[in-house]
Amino acid sequence: MDHTAGCVFLGAAMFVLGVFTMVTRRNAIYVLMGAELILNAAALNFVAFARHLGNRLDGQMFAIFIVILAAAEAAVALGIVLQIHHHFPTIDVSKADRLGD
Amino acid sequence: MESFSFWFFGACTLIGALLVAFGPRLVHSAFALVLALIGVAGLYWGLGADFLGGVQLLVYVGGITILFIYGIMLTPKGTTKWSASSLLFPGLIAVVPVAVMLHLAWTGLASVLPAASTAEPAATADTIGRAFLTRDQYLVPFELASLVLLSALVGSVYLARRKKES
Repeated sequence: MDHTAGCVFLGAAMFVLGVFTMVTRRNAIYVLMGAELILNAAALNFVAFARHLGNRLDGQMFAIFIVILAAAEAAVALGIVLQIHHHFPTIDVSKADRLGD
Repeated sequence: MESFSFWFFGACTLIGALLVAFGPRLVHSAFALVLALIGVAGLYWGLGADFLGGVQLLVYVGGITILFIYGIMLTPKGTTKWSASSLLFPGLIAVVPVAVMLHLAWTGLASVLPAASTAEPAATADTIGRAFLTRDQYLVPFELASLVLLSALVGSVYLARRKKES
């Protein structure tokens, strides 16, 4: 049973929902969650096509590196969100618009 | 059976992603993200990527989500107010990929793809471990990833620390 097409559709749906989350929400943590959805959609496509083309390892390795970079990204981005919260009284991304004091 | 697991985990993923996008509160969305990530891990297992599914559960569900929950607890709460004007532009953006998806569903993705491989998946942990430590495969990216993780660790500790009031 081949589910490549289903996985590609699921990846596309996750990607659209992630972009939608990043564009509509103002809260910075929502924006990060949208980014996680997008990264997972890309990784799912890699794995689905790796399976489709004969259990190749390359696609899975790409997905593993995506997970590694997503972990680093989430840690640094949440640190930045905490600093924004410390510097401004809010984490609304449209209100954090000053570089200096 | 395999088909059932695909539909089950696919539904988990889709419902979780929908709740992240449209959920009313931040904490609900965070737990919906957990559901979506578990669904993706299940899909990985169904696709023969057993090691990757485990990594997904450990790193994403166990690590990143905890990080998100801490981020939510450390920042003020806020609710999203939807309005027609704020949804217009993102809705227009979303129309394009949805239209492409529907077009692909109409013509059939299978006609575009090369023939599916019939090879049965084997356990991958052993091969992945060897590939990580073989020089002409993934040794250099593997070592670079450790550097990236170390700098992310140091950087996030530096960023998240509270500065002393002077």
